[in-house]
Amino acid sequence: MKAAGRLTTQQRSAVSAPRVVAVRWGRLIRTCQTLLLPIVILALWELSGRLNLIPAGLLPPPSRVAVGWWAWAFGPAGLGLNPYSGTWAGNVAFSGLRVFEGFGVAILVGVPLGILIGWSRLAARLVDPTVQALRPVPITAWLPFSIAIFGIRDIGSIFLIALGAFYPIVINSAHGARDVGRNLIRAAEMMGASPLQLLWRVAFPAALPAIFTGLRIGLGIAWTAVIVSEMVAVKSGLGYVLWDAYYVGRMDVVIADMVSIGLAGFLSDLVIVLIERRALGWKHLHRR
Amino acid sequence: MPENAILLRDIQKRYGEGAGAVNALDGIDLAIAEGEFVAMLGPSGCGKSTLMNLVAGFEAPTAGRVSVFGQPVGKPGPERAVVFQEAALFPWLTVWDNIVFSAKLAGTPKAAYGERAREFIAAVGLGGFEQHLPDQLSGGMKQRVGIARALLMDPQVLLMDEPFGALDAQTRLQMQALLLSIWDRYRKTVVFITHDIDEAILLADTVYVMSARPGRIRTRLPIDLPRPRSVDLVTDQSFNALRRRIFEEIRGDAAHA
Repeated sequence: MKAAGRLTTQQRSAVSAPRVVAVRWGRLIRTCQTLLLPIVILALWELSGRLNLIPAGLLPPPSRVAVGWWAWAFGPAGLGLNPYSGTWAGNVAFSGLRVFEGFGVAILVGVPLGILIGWSRLAARLVDPTVQALRPVPITAWLPFSIAIFGIRDIGSIFLIALGAFYPIVINSAHGARDVGRNLIRAAEMMGASPLQLLWRVAFPAALPAIFTGLRIGLGIAWTAVIVSEMVAVKSGLGYVLWDAYYVGRMDVVIADMVSIGLAGFLSDLVIVLIERRALGWKHLHRR
Repeated sequence: MPENAILLRDIQKRYGEGAGAVNALDGIDLAIAEGEFVAMLGPSGCGKSTLMNLVAGFEAPTAGRVSVFGQPVGKPGPERAVVFQEAALFPWLTVWDNIVFSAKLAGTPKAAYGERAREFIAAVGLGGFEQHLPDQLSGGMKQRVGIARALLMDPQVLLMDEPFGALDAQTRLQMQALLLSIWDRYRKTVVFITHDIDEAILLADTVYVMSARPGRIRTRLPIDLPRPRSVDLVTDQSFNALRRRIFEEIRGDAAHA
């Protein structure tokens, strides 16, 4: 008998092999549980279409959506019969670029302004009441204003996106900068930090977790804003196609468009999460 | 006669106004010599941390003057290093970056501080932990970082606000031994805030016993135990005599209140 608690290599593999299998089985079963509901919904939806329970003009089954999407994405462009053919990538790019620009403006204005509001009582008195007063006006209510000022042009869409994303970014940044621990500030002060160094080397990194929360909420609003504004205020992008396809009764394109928006939102959020994980490695220690 | 490192004259510190005002400190006169290790001993609420905050420049006195090496104290500054009770390390910086933070603020080139940083990291026993983050460290280790960070600033005075108060008894003993050896090596002027009688006697050249409401200095007690000291002193007879004296002071104060 060997020392208690020790196993030879053979014994260990004899023990661990079934355990590995069990772990894999557990994971497989959990994956199936996760996928169960979506698969059932898709199957019922397809079935109801095949059995003509719902008219295909109203709700085309998944298979027809897939075919329509394929043509939209990879069909030859510029042919009269299907005006959507081959325009998917272009419209995704239009919407994506607008979100990128509007969201970028919101970050460039919202993060510094928020940190100032959270850090300085003077800045808070000067700016915060105005921000709080404008915030309850939903971005959809800004649409006519935006069209009147900017016309049916890109800039109007970008304005709405920037405005919508601005509020959560500025509010969360202010919150983060306000909550910096007093002792951290004192520690930096006793080490000789200037006011600017305090802001950049203490307030900003301390506020970063809250800033990222604001970015993720803001990005969600940015995608809402781009779709709404493209439906009304410009003539391109996923929002424009969504409304246009509805008018001409192309429900397959409408649904493909909805899924595309969801995917774009999901993937852009993933980018933020990955950046956050890199920037806030110190926050995620316990998950390592 | 050595120069006064820290001088407090007729200090009064009041919080609030009118009937609800609290006298945190009243009539404090204190002169601390260069190289002296002073312990401020008192119950919670006696204003000992407030006293340290005045020297650090975190707070201003309601009346009176605070000066360090002849310079009146205004804002906090790197000539008055502070070791905080909760370490107050930047959680997003590694041990190394926390320790050299003051040098980076001052724009000192790494060649000028790198070797000294390594020396202090070794002195506090943090070798091999340079790339750890504060959240990966125990309470005692965090305080080691706080001490190394303060030493790198090469301050005129070192202010320590109950730095071992939140540690378990065994770690506290280790940290006291560490501080004794560091002080023997660098001989800084230290103001050490504590409510622990043994800790005050073990570490300090002079113990000031404070009383509460209003915060006043009750007794000045020179500790003439020979240096270098070790934590074994705690069981010594002379140590016991000092402990008894302080105990009587505090009990008298309690009976008074």
